[in-house]
Amino acid sequence: MRRLILFLGSLCFVAGSAARAADPAEFPTAVKPFLTAHCVKCHGPEKQAGDFRLDDLTADVGKHAERWATVRDQVRDGLMPPAKEQKPDQAKARQVVAWASAAIGTRPARLPNQGNLIPHELLFGTPATVGSASPARVWRLAPPAYQSFVRGVFRERLDGIVSPFALLGERGFRDFADLYSLDEASTELLLRNAALIVDAQTGTEVKNGKPTGRNGSVREFVELMTPDVEPARAKLEVAVQAQFRLAVARPATPDEVERYVGLYQKGAKNTGDRPGAAKTMLQAVLLRADAMYRYEVGTGPAEASGRRMLSPLEIEQAVSLTLGNKRVPPFATALNVASAKGTAAIREAVANHVRVSLSDPKADTERVMGFFREYFEYHRAPEVFKDKPKDFVHAASQLVADTDRLVAEIVASDKDVFRELLTTQKTFVNYTVRDDKKTNRKNVPMQSVPPPPFRKEKGEVFKAGVEPVYGFTDWPETQPVESPKDTRIGVLMQPSWLVAWSTNFETDPVRRGRWVRERLLGGTVPDLPIGVVAQVPDEPHRTFRDRLTVTRAAQCWKCHQKMDELGLPFEQFDHYGRFRTTETVRDTEATAKNVDKKGKLLGPVDKQVRLVTTGLIVDSGVPSLEGAVKDPRDMIRKIANSDRARQVFVRHAFRYFLGRNESLADAKSLQDADAAYVKSGGSFKALVESLLTSDSFLYRVATAAPGGAK
Amino acid sequence: MTTQATRRDVLKGVGLGAGATVLSPILGSLAAHAAGDAAAANPKRVVFVLQSNGMNPAHLLPSGVERKSANSDSPTQKFTEHSLDGRTLHKALEPLAPFQKRLALVQGLSNKIALSDHSGELGALGCYPKGKVHAATIDHAVAEALPGVFPHVGVGYSDRGNAYCYSASGPGRAVPIVCSPADAFKTLFGSVAAGSDRASFDHRTNLLDFLSDDVKRSRAALAGEERQKLDGYVEAFEALHARQAKLVAMADAIRKNTPKLNEKLAKEATASLTLEAQFEIAGAALVAGLTRVVTITSGGGGQAFGKYPELGVPDLHHIGHGGSYEGKTAEECFVTIRRTHTTLIAGLAKKLESIKEGDGTMLDNTVIVYLSDSGDSHHPTGKQWPVVLLGNLGGKLKTNGRYIDFPFYGKPGHRTLANLYLTLLHAVGKPREKFGIPDIGLKDFDQTGPLGELLA
Repeated sequence: MRRLILFLGSLCFVAGSAARAADPAEFPTAVKPFLTAHCVKCHGPEKQAGDFRLDDLTADVGKHAERWATVRDQVRDGLMPPAKEQKPDQAKARQVVAWASAAIGTRPARLPNQGNLIPHELLFGTPATVGSASPARVWRLAPPAYQSFVRGVFRERLDGIVSPFALLGERGFRDFADLYSLDEASTELLLRNAALIVDAQTGTEVKNGKPTGRNGSVREFVELMTPDVEPARAKLEVAVQAQFRLAVARPATPDEVERYVGLYQKGAKNTGDRPGAAKTMLQAVLLRADAMYRYEVGTGPAEASGRRMLSPLEIEQAVSLTLGNKRVPPFATALNVASAKGTAAIREAVANHVRVSLSDPKADTERVMGFFREYFEYHRAPEVFKDKPKDFVHAASQLVADTDRLVAEIVASDKDVFRELLTTQKTFVNYTVRDDKKTNRKNVPMQSVPPPPFRKEKGEVFKAGVEPVYGFTDWPETQPVESPKDTRIGVLMQPSWLVAWSTNFETDPVRRGRWVRERLLGGTVPDLPIGVVAQVPDEPHRTFRDRLTVTRAAQCWKCHQKMDELGLPFEQFDHYGRFRTTETVRDTEATAKNVDKKGKLLGPVDKQVRLVTTGLIVDSGVPSLEGAVKDPRDMIRKIANSDRARQVFVRHAFRYFLGRNESLADAKSLQDADAAYVKSGGSFKALVESLLTSDSFLYRVATAAPGGAK
Repeated sequence: MTTQATRRDVLKGVGLGAGATVLSPILGSLAAHAAGDAAAANPKRVVFVLQSNGMNPAHLLPSGVERKSANSDSPTQKFTEHSLDGRTLHKALEPLAPFQKRLALVQGLSNKIALSDHSGELGALGCYPKGKVHAATIDHAVAEALPGVFPHVGVGYSDRGNAYCYSASGPGRAVPIVCSPADAFKTLFGSVAAGSDRASFDHRTNLLDFLSDDVKRSRAALAGEERQKLDGYVEAFEALHARQAKLVAMADAIRKNTPKLNEKLAKEATASLTLEAQFEIAGAALVAGLTRVVTITSGGGGQAFGKYPELGVPDLHHIGHGGSYEGKTAEECFVTIRRTHTTLIAGLAKKLESIKEGDGTMLDNTVIVYLSDSGDSHHPTGKQWPVVLLGNLGGKLKTNGRYIDFPFYGKPGHRTLANLYLTLLHAVGKPREKFGIPDIGLKDFDQTGPLGELLA
């Protein structure tokens, strides 16, 4: 409790000073002396306890945001300096905490899972009035966007194309603008792909003695394929323009035309191979930096504050690549008209476009549904390899398809979306259907053996499919269907989520708890310290909850108290995601007695023991949430009804759609988005519309020159 | 605690994470160059040969060695070894007889994690389940330690165009096996070839030159750290441009070794002719010093086993199910196809043996790793994955005419194909603990570290 009071106390202090940025002048006078006095002895040049060193921290907090966050958390929570050392002056400690918080807030951490380093109160604690801007930036195309790019220039084909781009393998959002650049290996593949595409674009066949275009080739390009005729300059220009439109959805500037035609001329002159030179020119357009990257520099007029709005072209591309994967000019006209009338009109045009796109089933809004996958991460279920169970079917991809369908249903209804996602009683069960050719039965579920309805008269025996995982004995023909009462609610109790957050043979309360801590409560948990091998004892006669008590040792519990009790209620389900009321453990005595006449052991014997599903919410920062919960449904309902969890959801949506973590300056955009969501009765569309018309989305500030401070 | 990296480190780190195996060799080779041609002092080479449709464990049995079939019971309870001295190789491997003293025939390693009907695809060289590019495959992992102008060369035969299912340079990054000898030839030897190949080499040089300038212009609109994102792209074009220059500088060596392929380059060339061309191209690339790691594949993954009507075996799927052709049994057909491959492998070994290097020959510094992408059969179990090793990689491997058989799947002391790959990584000086994704069926087994039995 002492810790909680200190925590809230420091927050009030911090919130009060949130309006101003951290003063660099305070670093040498207040912060550095504190670190030197209390920390450097164990975390300095001589000794780096816990592999942690902070004598080299500077006022440039952004460079070491994560280390600064550790300092802040440890001092704030009174965990450091350790009890055996001299206790620091509390006022000075609070000043360090406040300074670090404000400083971290102005330059957010760059990795996707570090977004919560900015305390929630600093973003939502006081109403924000000043809009912000994102840094001018480029953002490498995501793998699906590259695929769409190829389809666009390759006449909807993909054969022979390898995506050169990959995303971080870590959990959480993976496509942040800051994370990716192009290296040599990717560039080699891009070159290869460009050659393949241009070969198809310029494909010719001889008809009536004349080379003519083939199916899929581009007329303007085919005209350049005659080896012994120097093409007219106008034809080269037309070809450059055509390729620019295909590749970057805009016309080339006169300067660009000049340079690309120049590339042709140089090649034709050096080699005498005109078609080859023309192909080189066409390949070059496909490899342009602004084809491979989203360009969001901010080329609109500058405001007094120095920030600039994105140009209509930039907005158009940013919006289309945020909602979907295609770089198409979907609302150029509306935007150009609006841009003449000023920024409010532009914002209205963007809002209109987003609204229309989100309601149009034909519009490319693929990325919107992707948010839910990356937020919950139930889609990773197939990555967890499990043994084939004997009496039911474990089909991870089917579980994912079921949850996808459930999410789509909730998003389509667009009411109270976040709460519904967490607490809906509805579920889809083995939803993917097929026609069974063998028996001529239509619309039978994919993963049942044999497919229902069962023809007992023909001697068919139901071997069970995916249904038992959801708690059904038969396949429900009308879906969605209500899960059996008091068993599971919402996405976090969908088998797909439970499997995605499990291990090969067991449940995984620690990482499930971490998920709840980070993605619902907006808290942080440090990464596993280097050198610590996290291992739950392999003792099959004890329940997992019992075995997990290893983390109660003081040095482990410092972090595990933030996770374990939030994950343990999910012990309500086994590691395949089946609801259970008892837990299976090894019966040591019975196993020892299970011998044949010669005394040879015949194998293990299991028994059922009482299942405990309680948990505890602590350090949430929300007094009404604190306290014991009796089972996962109780816990999730409680959290789902809180403002905090909803706002944390908004923060995550911000990160996904803007491709970066929020900073303190984004407070207004976040608060506006939350307000729009609440006012609309929980409409996810309203939330997305608000984010995409926010200052954070539409405005840019120039980044500093190399080496300069921000 | 994680030590905080600078933004540039992060960018670099991400770049490396995704494409390290190709990127770093080049940096490495530049460094080696600066250090006075370290490669010459340590000129190891690794060649992987991957053949479709399974490798029958019986083909590895020399005269006088018996082994139970895997179906009956576990063939081997404990590690066994026989010298090949005085024994005769199975007819399928007979073409390798001249190199009998350089062979190790390895049985009993499993790779069940890559189990799949017809082809384990990337799992054969990657030791992970098919369907997703989880990580770099062993050829690219090895290439990291053996830099060359081309860090890795992948060539092969498939009746479905380039194969993206065997080799990967990192997570999500399948690297194509070039299945047209003409394309492979153009990439490797185009710099010195006369006529249109020379033109396409020049076009590429122009393109790379233009693009590094073009990206620099795009970069001009940016400042600070955003600029650095495009630096990588600029540097990539510059490095590739530098490779072009290196190829020009190596023109004499390349010209001297340029293979004469004639009709083998024809689009309609048969499977065996295509393979012949690819083996020649790969051998020439090694001899010319263009690369030190080669993957040669025959097959295209899935059911694209390849077609050999010229050998009287038009459909490998048919023989995979015991079908016969022209009075020849399935097994006879299998032997015919295998001999085609072992003959080519022997030809490559012979070529390397003919080139002096240091006190010995190029072959002394090489190992050829020959296996199937489908383990032990057309429909494999993954519980055994026979491998033939030829050469001792500069004395690092114990391949002096041995037949060795590891304890079968699930038996104490059982090891996996990943362990063999870890042995290779150890031998080339890039040791690591783990390779691929561990088999959960072997959770009580040691799937880490190299095979002591094979290290010299």
